[in-house]
Amino acid sequence: MISIFETLATAPVTDSGNVVLEITKNFKVYWPLLISQFISFAIVIFLLKKFAFGPIQKMLEERRSRIADGEAKLIEIQRQLAESEKTTAAAIAKANEEAQRMVEEAKQGAILFSEQKSQEAISQAQAILTKAEAAAKADRDRLQTELKREFGRLIAATTSQVTGKVLTDDDQRRINEEALAKVEA
Amino acid sequence: MRIALTTLTLSLIGLSSASAGAGGHDHLPAYAEEIFHAGPFIVTNSMLMVWIVAIFIIACAQLATRKMAMIPQGLQNFAEWLVESLYDFLEGILGKDLVKKTFWFFGSIFILILLTNWFGLIPGVGTFGWALTGPGVEAHDKFRPFLRGGNADLNMTIAMSLTFAVLWFYWAIRENGLGGFFAHIFAPKGTFNGIMKVMMFLVFGFVGVLELISIAFRPVALSFRLYGNIFAGENILENMMLLVGKYEWLAWLPPLPFYFLEILVGLVQALVYTMLTAVFLRLICEHDDHGHGHDEENSIHKKAH
Repeated sequence: MISIFETLATAPVTDSGNVVLEITKNFKVYWPLLISQFISFAIVIFLLKKFAFGPIQKMLEERRSRIADGEAKLIEIQRQLAESEKTTAAAIAKANEEAQRMVEEAKQGAILFSEQKSQEAISQAQAILTKAEAAAKADRDRLQTELKREFGRLIAATTSQVTGKVLTDDDQRRINEEALAKVEA
Repeated sequence: MRIALTTLTLSLIGLSSASAGAGGHDHLPAYAEEIFHAGPFIVTNSMLMVWIVAIFIIACAQLATRKMAMIPQGLQNFAEWLVESLYDFLEGILGKDLVKKTFWFFGSIFILILLTNWFGLIPGVGTFGWALTGPGVEAHDKFRPFLRGGNADLNMTIAMSLTFAVLWFYWAIRENGLGGFFAHIFAPKGTFNGIMKVMMFLVFGFVGVLELISIAFRPVALSFRLYGNIFAGENILENMMLLVGKYEWLAWLPPLPFYFLEILVGLVQALVYTMLTAVFLRLICEHDDHGHGHDEENSIHKKAH
């Protein structure tokens, strides 16, 4: 009824104690069978490696590498973002500094320009003044000359009428000079 | 509904086996039987079972990987979950580098052993076959089943263990170098001086010899453990069915609890075999803390038994 017990019961007990022989006989472990099983198992394990575990492992490896790539890219993006923020902050600071410098320069320029224009205005005013003075002097000289001439003519006319004598050019000149000398004195 | 289906299936299992028994089927022999041979190559019913399981695994893997999607679904999702879980489990034992090189083997033997054990429980395995007639047929061997539980064949488990032994040597020497391999077995662990050094050389030399004997017996232990558990399970199922005597219609009932037990045994044995082989490899490949490794081996041995 119970085969394993039957197997054991029917197994001959040997005094020689060759247990290995007993086992190989009871369980039919013979070289041809064992080699056949060995070859069969080798083929099976090779086929499983090639067609069962290979594709799945390949896919898992691909996914792992994609995840690793994604993580690496994320880290790179974070690094680039931090770098970009840093660069932007530096650029803004530099631009601020530049703007400040330009404002300062503009202020300085404006002061200089203002001073320059003031100086120019002063010089122009002085030039106008000098010119006006020169014109005034010329006018005065001209008037003075005209006045002298008129004064001489009047003197000569008056002398001529008073004396009833026709004055020569020399007389007229001499009388004029004397009269002018007296007026100027 | 599921319980009803399971009960019905198990009833059919019982009936088919019982009817086969009634029809003159022999009791389960301790060995696989020849189906045919091609020259010197003998094909047994256990070998056929292993091939069927291998074809099933390959078909599932091919189906799962036929239309690969980055967001897995259905069979691909299940296959990935299974392989990834197994990979993580083995990574815990073997370490990151070693598992990359050896996963194909450990993953394959786990799935192969597990499914071979479970396929052996399917109705028809061991019960469908043909009657032997003619001269030379022995009285106790008149029936030849087409299929037999793959691991209920000592030749199969020995072949598997010997394959592992060969690969174990290959991986061990590749990881340690030939000198490192022998140093790992014979060299004293720790730093000693003077007379202690000499003593330790002698002690560890002796320990190394014991280690070699242990290594030599590993394939034997692995083979007999797996074979013994699976063959015993099949025997229990068969003999439970015969307990009912003349009430053959009830033959499905006694083995019912044992089917659930055998499903569990199939998983446990696949796990034990895979874990032990992985630990054997880890022990020879780890480069320090040898004492800890031996403790680990002992503890896993105890768990396995």
